[in-house]
Amino acid sequence: MRARSEAEGAGGRVGLLSLVIVCFVMSAFPSGCSNNPYPPTREGEKVLYSSFVDAPRTLDPARAYNTRAHAITGAVYDTLLKYHFLKRPLELIPGLAVSLPEKTELPDGRVRYRFELRRDLLFADDACFGLDRPGQRTREVVAADIAFQLARIADAEVGSPVIEPFSNIDGFQEFSRALTARREADPGFAARPVHEQYAELGGIPGVRTPSSHVLDVILHRPYPQIRYWFAMEFSTPVPWEAVEYYDGRGGRPRFDDHPVGTGPYVLSEYSKRSRYVLERSKNWYGVRHPEWKAPAATYPSEGEEEDRLAGRLDYAGRTLPFIDRVEVRREKESIPRFNKFLQGYYDASGIIKESFDKVVQEDALSPEMKARGIALEKAVSPDVFYIGFNFDDPVVGRAGGERSRKLRQAMSRVIDVEEFTRVFNNGRGVPAQSPIPPGIYGYDPDYENPARRVDLERAKQLMVEAGYPGGIDPETGEALRLTFDSADTSSAGLTKVQFYVSAWKRLGIDVRVEATNYNQFLEKLRNGAHQVFESGWVADYPDPENFLFLLWSQMGKSKFGGPNATNFSNARFDELFVSMKTRENGPRRMAEIREMLRILEHERPWIELFHREEYSLYHGWVRNVKPMGISMPTYQYRDLDPVLRAQRRREWNEPIVWPAWVLLGAAVLVVLPGIRTYLKERQ
Amino acid sequence: MGAYVLRRLSYGIGVVFGVLFLLFILFFTVTKPDDIARRALGEKAPPEVIEQWKINHGYDRPLWPWQDWDDNLLFDHYERMLTFDFGLSDADDSPITERIASGVGPSLSLTVPLLVLGILVAIPLSLLVAFFRETYIDRMGVFLCVLAMSVSMLLYIIGAQFLIGKVLRWYPISGFDSNLLMLPRFLALPLIVGVLSGVGGDVRFYRTVFLEESSRDFVRTARAKGASEARIMTRHVLRNAMIPILTNVVLAIPFLFTGALLLEAFFGIPGLGSITVDAIAANDFSTLRTMVFIGSLLFILGQIATDLSYGLVDPRVRFE
Repeated sequence: MRARSEAEGAGGRVGLLSLVIVCFVMSAFPSGCSNNPYPPTREGEKVLYSSFVDAPRTLDPARAYNTRAHAITGAVYDTLLKYHFLKRPLELIPGLAVSLPEKTELPDGRVRYRFELRRDLLFADDACFGLDRPGQRTREVVAADIAFQLARIADAEVGSPVIEPFSNIDGFQEFSRALTARREADPGFAARPVHEQYAELGGIPGVRTPSSHVLDVILHRPYPQIRYWFAMEFSTPVPWEAVEYYDGRGGRPRFDDHPVGTGPYVLSEYSKRSRYVLERSKNWYGVRHPEWKAPAATYPSEGEEEDRLAGRLDYAGRTLPFIDRVEVRREKESIPRFNKFLQGYYDASGIIKESFDKVVQEDALSPEMKARGIALEKAVSPDVFYIGFNFDDPVVGRAGGERSRKLRQAMSRVIDVEEFTRVFNNGRGVPAQSPIPPGIYGYDPDYENPARRVDLERAKQLMVEAGYPGGIDPETGEALRLTFDSADTSSAGLTKVQFYVSAWKRLGIDVRVEATNYNQFLEKLRNGAHQVFESGWVADYPDPENFLFLLWSQMGKSKFGGPNATNFSNARFDELFVSMKTRENGPRRMAEIREMLRILEHERPWIELFHREEYSLYHGWVRNVKPMGISMPTYQYRDLDPVLRAQRRREWNEPIVWPAWVLLGAAVLVVLPGIRTYLKERQ
Repeated sequence: MGAYVLRRLSYGIGVVFGVLFLLFILFFTVTKPDDIARRALGEKAPPEVIEQWKINHGYDRPLWPWQDWDDNLLFDHYERMLTFDFGLSDADDSPITERIASGVGPSLSLTVPLLVLGILVAIPLSLLVAFFRETYIDRMGVFLCVLAMSVSMLLYIIGAQFLIGKVLRWYPISGFDSNLLMLPRFLALPLIVGVLSGVGGDVRFYRTVFLEESSRDFVRTARAKGASEARIMTRHVLRNAMIPILTNVVLAIPFLFTGALLLEAFFGIPGLGSITVDAIAANDFSTLRTMVFIGSLLFILGQIATDLSYGLVDPRVRFE
């Protein structure tokens, strides 16, 4: 009897312990079973939910130069000029400026761009404005704030990556050098606030503020592309107070992590490792002065036919922004991110490779995705990927003359890009016919580059004409040996390169791959120690100059350290480039571009590969989505229906609880007979 | 005991020096200062900006003392670590101490419940299988433990995210929120995965310890005196098995602070584990060396604490 009671006691204690564990676990989850990662209180609000992989290194508009950073800086900092949301090719419209800049050619050959800033523009509320006026939370934006930011770009200590294009401003480099020299010579000067240092040196000579709301930018040579740089955050107004106040001391964040701008949103929360939040700025001129109907603060009423069909013109004339808050959470892994999108917890997503066939079938959305109300947006990136030949190389370059030219032409004719994108990129990518991608002036959808037509027989014939019949090098009697330099050492990268190598093997050419890390690869390019290589370029701004300059001799990598890694040099091409560069869009510019492309067809410094194609998915409750191509957030144009979203989320995410009961039952069924057996034995 | 602690500490200092040297060699064998700068600044950064970055971050100096005895990266590396001057992250120039401070909370919010739950699950389960030794419960328990140990952590993570997060929709697939009402919802899945992946090994280990203790003379004596099996297991066996249990638990404590690398990385928990993973991915030497240094320090201190704790649970242990 005693044995039984003790055994029962033991069983009871085990049961009690189990009960304690269950209670502990249950008490740990008072919010109950739900996969909703957001508090229910925000359900009815116009909050756009998005994700990021890694936080940007800096939000300083003088230095931020990638898509991750622009997702924030583009919303927080406004610019003098903006791009039209719907028109393609992209078109500049006035932003903070009253109108597009007035261009004047000065008698000495210099060019002046005059920007008139809107009146009564305010910075977002911030504590930094109390620096010299206690209690003040904001102030009016003046032209000097833009001049200050341009001086920051020239400041070597800031480390801006865009010094080169702004060096077209008169006296820009001289100012930069004078600043550095003065700091080295005078520690007292170097210790003063930067805005005082800039002021003492008189600022950049080519940047003038004739009045508080007028900014003159004087270029020492014609460079019409400068206007595009005024549509980028590099040239946004920056208050000197923010730069001085946010120095990372006394518990204050650094200016890198605390933007103070004039944009439609403010960064209200910023945790680099978990999430950031953008909230509508009450100081934005679109909110304060809807009566201005400013072009960049009003939803456009003009667009393309496809915009009308997609309902993107339904909001025409309405004041921006429509969304109150953008909440962006960190998701490092692509599969959880995509699954959360399918659950309705992210409003937009790219398509992960693993699910591509499930999502896209026959180049359209699968029926399953359509049934969920998901929409697919495709956009061709303004970029180009290519295989380049080093013109300084004796075998494939200029020294080989006609022989090398024929070799390049032959190699160009066997690379099947359509097959490449099908195998490696789910068919995403537009085969490139020239350096100019779709959406950029000079792109002709009907243009077909004859040198990029895949034709093995013609390629073999060209090899014979080049003096390499069957790919045999007559000097060695063996297969012509070339070296392909790649900056991708991953197995996936090497598999891609192998695709090219196999194609050239059909011509009898033996191509050896040398994969190194990116810095070693750059070092090789700088030293001219390369032969054939793969590279790519993403547009800074939507102008053909930003692509064709990659083949301009003055940008040669070996001689000038520029981005022309082929070291291609052609007198006629250079002449046409210099002329096209400063010309406004029009028939003459188009004719020059066409002639340049014909030179490239013949000379083959590049084998053009593809322009990337981005596929994005959006839920049915998200409105006004149109990819811009270039790195620029469009939160202020978007709208969403929070009621529909809440309804869909509930429908899609009802927890399935019966497996929990099954598991519990199974556990009891397993343990119970054992206890019974044991108790019987004890009896 | 003081001499013992001093001796162990001196060994520990040697180990820390070795760890720092090994890290320095391994890191700079595969990465050059230019790679760090390029990673931080992006591919379009011009050479002069790269050079300026290297000067600002001290990477313009030679690596080894024989290249420049007074000013080299190796000595600077030791000086900074041994004076706890962790400096700024190479990836984004943020103060490393701030990053660590911001990661401690999320890490502990995961690792402490994970440790407690792991013990609360593993010890009763191992007592149970030891209690029912040689029965089908014991055999099934051992089989399940071996099965649980054989499955990779990644499979647990992906499987749980798919089954519990996506199919059953019980908890969010990933994410973190420091709001106390939302926090348990985000921790549920990593805790389930953490406990499941660790319980197999722990139960097997504790079961062996319990069975070994069960065959001792004092257990036989207790049985002869008529004590119940349950009393024997909980009062006699468990108490005498405390040293190996304590070793296991105390050794785990330092790692609570360094975070759970995989769980944090895959569930998006902004803790110290994911700081380390991010630092590796971003070529962020400053952060990586700090995390390795702190990890090695905690490990050594944990080892000493474990040894000292033996004396607390077993008065027979003497330190010489």
